[in-house]
Amino acid sequence: MRYELSVNGQPHVVDVPAGTSLTSVLRDDLGLTATRLGCGHGSCGACYVLLDGSAVASCTMPVDEAVGHEIVTVEGLSQDGHLHPLQEAFLKEDAMQCGACTSGMLISAVALLEENPHPQEEEIREALSGHLCRCGVYGRIVMAVKEASR
Amino acid sequence: MSREAPRRWGERPPEQLEKRIVIGPEGEVIARSGKVEYGQGIRTGFRRIVAHELRLPEEAVRVELGETDVVPWDGGTFGSMSTQTDGQALRLAAAYAYQLLLERAAARLGVAPANLVARDGAFHATDGREASYAELAAQAPLAGPLPAAADVAFAPGPDFEPEPDRVEARALVLGQVRYPHDVRLPGMLRGHVLPPPRPGAHLVSLDDTAAKALPGVVAVVHEGDFVGVLAERREQALQAIQSLEATWSDPEGDAEPPLEAQLRQDKDVEAALASAKVRHEATYHTPHIAHASILPSAAAADVRKDGADLYVATQRPFGLRDEAAAILSLDPKDVHVHPQQMSGMYGGGGWGVAALDAIRLSQAAARPVLVEWTRAEEFQRSAQRPWLDAKIEGAVGPDGRIVGYRSHVRTNPHIYASGRVPPEVAGMTSGRNAVPPYDLGQMDVSLTVERAQIQTSAFRSLAAAPNVFASESFIDELASLAGVDPLELRLRHATDPRLRRVLETVGAMSNWPERPRGDGHGFGLAATIYHGTYCAEVAEVYVSQSGKVRLGRVFAAVDPGRLVHPDGARSQIEGGIVQAMSWTLFEETKVSDGRITTRGWRDYPIATFRDAPEKIEVRFVYDMETPSTGIGEPGSVPIAAAIANAVCAATGARVRELPLRPARIQKATR
Ligand code: FES
Ligand code: FES
Repeated sequence: MRYELSVNGQPHVVDVPAGTSLTSVLRDDLGLTATRLGCGHGSCGACYVLLDGSAVASCTMPVDEAVGHEIVTVEGLSQDGHLHPLQEAFLKEDAMQCGACTSGMLISAVALLEENPHPQEEEIREALSGHLCRCGVYGRIVMAVKEASR
Repeated sequence: MSREAPRRWGERPPEQLEKRIVIGPEGEVIARSGKVEYGQGIRTGFRRIVAHELRLPEEAVRVELGETDVVPWDGGTFGSMSTQTDGQALRLAAAYAYQLLLERAAARLGVAPANLVARDGAFHATDGREASYAELAAQAPLAGPLPAAADVAFAPGPDFEPEPDRVEARALVLGQVRYPHDVRLPGMLRGHVLPPPRPGAHLVSLDDTAAKALPGVVAVVHEGDFVGVLAERREQALQAIQSLEATWSDPEGDAEPPLEAQLRQDKDVEAALASAKVRHEATYHTPHIAHASILPSAAAADVRKDGADLYVATQRPFGLRDEAAAILSLDPKDVHVHPQQMSGMYGGGGWGVAALDAIRLSQAAARPVLVEWTRAEEFQRSAQRPWLDAKIEGAVGPDGRIVGYRSHVRTNPHIYASGRVPPEVAGMTSGRNAVPPYDLGQMDVSLTVERAQIQTSAFRSLAAAPNVFASESFIDELASLAGVDPLELRLRHATDPRLRRVLETVGAMSNWPERPRGDGHGFGLAATIYHGTYCAEVAEVYVSQSGKVRLGRVFAAVDPGRLVHPDGARSQIEGGIVQAMSWTLFEETKVSDGRITTRGWRDYPIATFRDAPEKIEVRFVYDMETPSTGIGEPGSVPIAAAIANAVCAATGARVRELPLRPARIQKATR
């Protein structure tokens, strides 16, 4: 099936079996591998993307449902070589070890700050609670989001 | 080229300068190590060490890790110690290279070495003449065996200035870092393997008619007990695997006798125990847990008739190279291992089972193949941390001193798929930290290692975390029976001044004497010496009526000797604490009838943002003159006991079995 998608401000046409997950289309058809596949059933947060500005799991979203929406992945967060303030803050706080969770974390943090530019620590923890980090970097990620919200 | 002779445990080949440091024609410096990066920051640490010795800015040094074609042979990146050893080898190599360059410069310019100043990749004489590293290196090979450390002058310092960003950090936030999952090769297929339900089971029958008829399926591979599929897309390969109808035999049990090792045996332990006023015995248990990397295993292989390229995340690139060479009947030099970024594996990522899947499938297809495991496969095909039981007896004399300690530890092998290991190796792995770091009078510590129903393997700190959970819980129990403060009791028996210092420091950090106690709020303490690193931790807990534990602050005092990269070290300690609090409160792999039944995050919850401690305070106390020891593992070692001791202080409930589930705490409270 042919699908027209808008990803990081660019139009794309893909030809994939109906029902293919948005994660697979991004990673395998568009080569946008910053979106990670951690579980495939919506319970780890690694695959989150922005869909019209909201953070959603792309692994449980069939590509059909993404048509007509504006999708942003981590590749689309920086603009002309300038890092997004959250990317800067993650660097400053060294808020990552292996990095497997980082893309998903960034996406949900971007969505949070769009909606709530000055969140309390509790709100940050709540907003990111669908994202697992096995390296245990949670504290530094909270610091990074606070840093970016200043 | 002759094949390298197999090496024995702990044996390393002699170090050669040219295998470590290469200075190119443009003066670019390449530093090489067989270790791999998995988020512990070794690339940054190594770069910094080498740049410092060569008096170069850090950007001038490139670090190559684990590329088997060029780096020195290495037994694998296990334990934070091994990276330190390699850091020291690089430091020696860089200092030696500097010494050779300096001698050459002095000869060339006719100036005494003391009158030359190294700056920006060149030696400068006072009269303005200079000799660059590049030209000096081009003069004759920078090569030869490394001298002893005592024969080399190291750069003064380290007055390490602001921390650099980790080398790969920028690529990580941009999503540009490549894990094996992200490798895309021309003509690449997606592969998936049908694993036997239990290790050692044999395939009895296979019906692949339905699988072969599915769209995108290129082939079903069936060679003996090996079954796999190749398809154009990942989902198609997975669907094909699910459509295979296979029956398997039950594996034949290999009744292997357990291995026994005596780790310490003093005289008259029974007499010491019997003589005392307070005698106590308790048994502790920790279950199987999973490494549970956020990205399931993956590997890409491109196998050709005359060679193979492997794109993998592994802690032992050379081991994998040799195994692949054996499977493919190739010379190891024709197998090229390219380490990719590793989703954290925490000591369990050495074995490359996904890589073996990819190798066999690529060989069958004669095309490059990428294999990505599912989340369920990651839980079910991975080796787990061994379970551990410790039965401990101890006694306190009338003067409040512990006079005797006897412990018997039963656990499983910590070395994956190993046959029988020598008892000293079992002691170093499964018996790790079973002997407490205190002077406890007469001690008797013994170990039994038996096979579990499932495959077991190393996990961050090996048996140290379970052993220290047991022994440090037990010390607290003795303190309470003897009516002595737990910190005071430990200090009474800590003869090592560095151990005393971390205990005293964490006591001061947590304001231990004033700590709140009872009413569901408590502090707990535990300490360890892990591979030369001293670590004492205090956990603050809040326990609800229903037995649910929430972590407040966690304090850690750590002495790792000379610190190269303080913020990276802090991050490792923090991460170790968070991961180990997750083991402690939530984790247990479910095993039934010899099979792992855990399938996903829903039945294997780990700590989330909601569970992570409110705050972690880490303080390093160390002397610059003491050699560095590891920081990747020690932070994770004492936390289980610190939490269990805090829960007991908060509620009176002594729970001796992990995880500390609400029901267990409630039961022990009553
Ligand atoms: S991969 Fe989508 S939530 Fe885990
Ligand atoms: S940094 Fe490794 S999983 Fe979060």
